[in-house]
Amino acid sequence: MQWKRITAVAATVMLAAVACGSPSSNSGTNSGGQGDLGGAQEKATDATAKGPAAEVDGAKKGGTVTVLSDVTPDTFDPTNIYYTDGNQISKLMFRTLTQYRLDGDSHKPVLVPDLAEDLGTKSADGLTWTFKLKKGIKYQDGTEVKAADYAYAIKRSFAHDLYDAGPTYQLQFFKDGDTYKGPYGAGGANYAGVETPDESTLVIKLAKKFDDLPFYVAFPMFTPIPQAKDTQKNYEQRPMSTGPYKVDSYVPGTELKLSKNPSWDPNSDPVRHQYVDAWDFKFAQDTIKAQRQVLASSGPDANALNYSNLDSTLLSEVKDQSQLVKGPSPCTITYPMDTRKIPLEVRKLIAKAYPYDSWRKVAGLNPATDPPASTILPPAVPGFVKYELPGLNGTGKGAEDDAVAAEIKSELGKLGKANFELSWYFSIDDPISTQSSQLRQQVFEKAGFKVKTIGVPKAKLRTYVGNQDAPVNIGKTPTGWCSDWPSGTSWFPVLFRSDAIALGNSIGQLQDKALDAKIDAVSAKTPDEQLKEWTNVDKDILENYLPALPLYYSNTEAPMGKNIGHAINDPTQGLPEFTSIYLKQP
Amino acid sequence: MSIGSPGSTVGVEDHPASAEPVRTAATPHGKSPSRIAFDRLRKDKVAVTCASIVVFFILIAVFAPLLAKLEGQNYSTFHTDLVDEFGYPTISFSPDHWFGVEPKTGRDSFARWVYGARPSLIIAFLATLFGTVVGVVMGLLAGFLGGWVDRVISWLVDFVLSLPYLLFAIALVPIVESMRGGSFNLTPQEQAQIRFYVLIFVLSFFGWAGLARIIRGEVLSLREREFVLAAKAIGVPTRQVLFKELLPNLVAPIVISASLSLPAYVTAEAGLSFLGVGLVEPIPSWGQTIAVATNWFKADPLYLWLPVIGITVLVLSLALLGDAIRDAFDPKTRR
Repeated sequence: MQWKRITAVAATVMLAAVACGSPSSNSGTNSGGQGDLGGAQEKATDATAKGPAAEVDGAKKGGTVTVLSDVTPDTFDPTNIYYTDGNQISKLMFRTLTQYRLDGDSHKPVLVPDLAEDLGTKSADGLTWTFKLKKGIKYQDGTEVKAADYAYAIKRSFAHDLYDAGPTYQLQFFKDGDTYKGPYGAGGANYAGVETPDESTLVIKLAKKFDDLPFYVAFPMFTPIPQAKDTQKNYEQRPMSTGPYKVDSYVPGTELKLSKNPSWDPNSDPVRHQYVDAWDFKFAQDTIKAQRQVLASSGPDANALNYSNLDSTLLSEVKDQSQLVKGPSPCTITYPMDTRKIPLEVRKLIAKAYPYDSWRKVAGLNPATDPPASTILPPAVPGFVKYELPGLNGTGKGAEDDAVAAEIKSELGKLGKANFELSWYFSIDDPISTQSSQLRQQVFEKAGFKVKTIGVPKAKLRTYVGNQDAPVNIGKTPTGWCSDWPSGTSWFPVLFRSDAIALGNSIGQLQDKALDAKIDAVSAKTPDEQLKEWTNVDKDILENYLPALPLYYSNTEAPMGKNIGHAINDPTQGLPEFTSIYLKQP
Repeated sequence: MSIGSPGSTVGVEDHPASAEPVRTAATPHGKSPSRIAFDRLRKDKVAVTCASIVVFFILIAVFAPLLAKLEGQNYSTFHTDLVDEFGYPTISFSPDHWFGVEPKTGRDSFARWVYGARPSLIIAFLATLFGTVVGVVMGLLAGFLGGWVDRVISWLVDFVLSLPYLLFAIALVPIVESMRGGSFNLTPQEQAQIRFYVLIFVLSFFGWAGLARIIRGEVLSLREREFVLAAKAIGVPTRQVLFKELLPNLVAPIVISASLSLPAYVTAEAGLSFLGVGLVEPIPSWGQTIAVATNWFKADPLYLWLPVIGITVLVLSLALLGDAIRDAFDPKTRR
């Protein structure tokens, strides 16, 4: 459940969620500034979509695209991929049961069947899902994809000890998810949760209702994996491709080379194209250097792109705005406070004291890509309704204002909480983290709080802040979250229910039975009914519980080389869409 | 002319050749080698200029709080109202902020610059002092005493020279932190100070070995010379032989080594801070500023130039001064 820009925004986002799935906001390809944050969206699905994907106007074939990436995806094992960039790159190699098609000028994502013939059929009790599978799908070596391979991939995902970075919904929702430990142990071949009655049918059995399953099966872990080829941890070196490209070579942490997959049949694929001949991903580049190279586009760099948000120091070097891919991404970044340790009244005073404006500058946030947030759900998630509680809109001077500071100080005194101690971790060897921490400390101390900051090495920070019982009361992860699919169900039940603490991803460590009940009540409704309900829960949480201060939403603004054609934002991941990119002059 | 009787002064006057030659005031007479070198240095324009620049920087470092007060700013206050929403400073030189403000944070550049001179100089001078004292003592002992003392010290020198000093600098920080109660019980200020002292320790610990080797070699050749043998023969105590007979003859290599290691330590500190293993916030230092400012070079060149100029001028002056001192002490140099 990681966000790709861990290093870039280490100060504010220690550990965020992965993005997957969310219809775009109305902002479309606009920069998504404050003014055009979208409204509520309908969940969009198209169960009848057929291949081939509509041709892109003016697209040419041929050439090699180089991706100069400053971040390094941790894995390309389909079962283990959960970071947004790994997801996006894997789309070139792995086809899954369902996939998102980006429709229209606003590139609105629509869930379509990919390797499945349909979006799944639910049984009356909602606990058995049947997917019809396409026939004649082949791996890159020409061998036929079997129904058993889909079943094996699902079984494989239960070996969470081995694939510990991958998504975990199957452990919570699939039948025997809590007891089955994957196909490798004794009796691993027998798993009751998945059945393949014939070569074109896949049946998934659930332990509890999970109406978002069609969205979940868009994750790369649902790509078919033949048991005979499974080399466990080494599978990412030679994975079996079903998509338009196959892996030529992979050096972990350094380079991934992809070339055309001859067995890919465009007529069966409603989403992907195969315009360029090859992809060359170079990882662990220097951010500024790579982005400057891509912007300058001299020589071979014109065929290059970088998928991180443009560093704000390079803004003045952008000559051609069309070199930036812009659009929304489904994430909100917050400032979480441990509700078990800080009383509600004090949390409200912290909200009043927080120096939003100054912090945004110190943290280097770009107004175009990081618009201030006032809600928990980001605009890119359906069901989002913009509302603002007084003082909670991601902007303001907070206690930098002398009068406000004095007022907070006196109120703290009245509550009997004068010199209330706030404590948090920061990364001692990261200048942005240190400076943000200094700023908060100065302002909170001015407002009458006592502040204890603990500097830890950057490499260890995630271990410290990831501990839900860490001896600090502010800033435990997740500090930010991205949608796993376009619904509030990938937000509120996973972040704010009491059991989220045990799962290690609670924002604010809320333990409130009444709130649990409210969340459960909404979760039990049909997806369409939920759309209108989540925003009430959202408001209720911020108004009555305030486990976190919403800081900003995130948008995409990635630099592209001048020769890159059809560079569009994929709002499901907040990254450029790779499978439809072509070279203007191959 | 008769030769005068003993005790008579007449003969001496009559034989000018046996008398002391007549000297003008400018002719060196009975001066120690250090005295000669110092006289030469005073006449060397480069040396004088460099020395004044070094003194200038030392004064800046010493009076940093005063200078910042004069400007009316301090190095840690954020002025985010002076940067726009993209983090670019909206002001450059102004009466309130003499060198403008930092991008993003809006902290005062002048105050950070004058305070930034402090760690560079303190670390360089302390490490040089420690390295020189230990190196000289070790070299003297090893060279003069010989035998097992020499073997032990030479082994120690080889051992220290073989240790990877960058790894040491990185690894020592968490060790010292845990000895002081772990990062949880330390304020950021204390953590930054720990790094500061660790840096001094690491640089001096790795600095003495080279000098010790040079001194040992010099002493090996000196101890067979007549004056040392004579001193030993008449029973002068070892300590006195070491410090009264040998040490004065070692001034040249010592001064040269010290003057060359000063700029090396200034760059080492800046380099380590640039790499992120040296000093950290909230202590301001030029190396850290350079590390951050390289990203802002196109947008805000002044931010990068200030510490770069500071370090370049200081290191250049120290290096040229060291060169001039070396020339001045070299008996082969005739000017």
